Amino acid sequence: MFYREAGQFKTTYKSDQALFPIAQDRYFVIGVVLFAFLVIPFFITDYWANALLLPFLIYALAAIGLNILTGYCGQLSLGTGGFLAVGAYASYKLMTSFPEMNLIVVFLLSGLITALVGIFFGVPSLRIKGFYLAVATLASQFFIVWLFNKVPWFFNYSATGQISVPPREIFGFLVTGPDASPAITYLFTLTLVSIFALLAKNMARGNVGRSWMAIRDMDIAAEIIGIRPLKTKLIAFAVSSFYIGIAGALLFAVWLGSAEPTEAFGIDQSFLILFMIIIGGLGSILGSFMGAAFMVLMPIFLKNFMVDGLGLQPAFSEHVQIMLMGVLIIFFLIVEPHGLARLWQIAKEKLRIWPFPY
Amino acid sequence: MSPEPVQTRIFEEEILSVSDVSLSFGGVKAIQNVSFDIKRGEIRAIIGPNGAGKTSMLNVINGFYHPQEGLIRFKGKARRRMRPSIAAAQGIARTFQNVALFKGMSTLDNIMTGRLPRLEKGIFGEIVNVFLQAAYLGPARRSELEQRKYVEEIIDFLEIQHIRRTPVGRLPYGLQKRVELGRALAMEPELLLLDEPMAGMNLEEKEDMSRFIIDVNDQYGTTIALIEHDISVVMDLSDRIIVLDYGRKIADGTPGEVQSNQAVMDAYLGVPHE
Repeated sequence: MFYREAGQFKTTYKSDQALFPIAQDRYFVIGVVLFAFLVIPFFITDYWANALLLPFLIYALAAIGLNILTGYCGQLSLGTGGFLAVGAYASYKLMTSFPEMNLIVVFLLSGLITALVGIFFGVPSLRIKGFYLAVATLASQFFIVWLFNKVPWFFNYSATGQISVPPREIFGFLVTGPDASPAITYLFTLTLVSIFALLAKNMARGNVGRSWMAIRDMDIAAEIIGIRPLKTKLIAFAVSSFYIGIAGALLFAVWLGSAEPTEAFGIDQSFLILFMIIIGGLGSILGSFMGAAFMVLMPIFLKNFMVDGLGLQPAFSEHVQIMLMGVLIIFFLIVEPHGLARLWQIAKEKLRIWPFPY
Repeated sequence: MSPEPVQTRIFEEEILSVSDVSLSFGGVKAIQNVSFDIKRGEIRAIIGPNGAGKTSMLNVINGFYHPQEGLIRFKGKARRRMRPSIAAAQGIARTFQNVALFKGMSTLDNIMTGRLPRLEKGIFGEIVNVFLQAAYLGPARRSELEQRKYVEEIIDFLEIQHIRRTPVGRLPYGLQKRVELGRALAMEPELLLLDEPMAGMNLEEKEDMSRFIIDVNDQYGTTIALIEHDISVVMDLSDRIIVLDYGRKIADGTPGEVQSNQAVMDAYLGVPHE
């Protein structure tokens, strides 16, 4: 009843091509963004930032990155963890080698470096498809982690083999390092993630996105009508890796503070982010956020509910939580194989005509 | 079919000429020494029994297959190695025998993809384009709206306004074929290759599609090469017909000439064994 576009007439293609053509959607998104920027920073605590909001935002960014490659362009990749590591190590090397460099520049350059690495590992995608490509990208995952473990130059010859972030400021606010305030780290991450989510949405709905989806839906037909597969796929690899690289840099510099390649950027991360986009919805920016929210926030919610709500032992609830997560994933995939974003879309279609059945 | 002789149209300028083209896959000779020409503005049909090499011929024209021998001239220029993207940029568009739409995208987006080859840029231009698209700024926004306008004209032309936002996977077959024609038209082709545009359609859909083909030819002046199995449609629509059988050309001429050709009758109906 409230979600209905009746009476909203579009008289130009410009207004019809707008990001959120339906007024209710527009107000809702504006409301959420304003709330995230203007309200949350005043109430944020260390726990909320480090346990919930930062991982949610950073994984959402990585999920957008993978969604561009897998969801929009149809190229299955298991190298996400490796690309996160490239972003993290690039930001580390840049920050330690050029202490004066602006943090934003550091992050953008980390993204660009990861994009180059992504292009390199994306070249086989012209010949290899589907599961075989996934295995080829798996090679990049293992190779990159091995490289960062074995070559001391990457971790500045530190004795532990770990990298830890030096404290850096932006506009006089401390963003990285252990003394950074949660509100600042949150706002910094939120700003980057919102901007890049908007850019991703623009790419996805424009010509670039159309060429990706054409390759995804039927690559031979796309080639015959004149879309160049190699170029399109490599652009997807580059953009996707750029996003994942920035997410990796954020993950290391803003959220974790220190990292060790095998643990922080292992194959688990690749799978985690792949699950996020499958559960959230392939080929959907909103779905990337939903998937990240589900995979990051749901375990914490379940744990809190069982430990604080039901009074179960923490160790016991840990195991139950893992099982429940598995059950929930299966449940959601059976209810809607196209993910939470599709579920949301169906809900909106139903809302439009509510209270009538059709 | 038609009792009174249809007025024959005369075309002068050659848009495509194929001379002595041979294509084989390993030992299978798909096309053997086939030569023909297509004149600008005409509707040219390619017919023949199954496996005659019709679709292979379209794939050759379109640059997807590379013939081992022979020469193809498009708009007077001979070509050697070809890629579909080059052919598309030169003005050759096509549709497919089995509908080859992008199932996850809406009708509008599918037709919009037809504009993509028109917007090909160099590597540097492509990179700039990605950034502009991402920011949805200036030239990117303008070109997006221009393309939308062009595509909307095609949508009007094909009378598919009502399914603009529908994912094509949900459309009935006849409409999917129409959307596919729309996608090819969005490329502003000079030569349009239609691979069995009416396969699997009912009478009404066939009539609609025939009307669209004639209208495209008439209004946009597009040269059309079509493959079709429905002989009555072919006879009515086309100006000239090529008949292929086992990869060889067995006849070439106006519908009347082809209809009375003994080799064609043999190919279609079989040769009696005495």
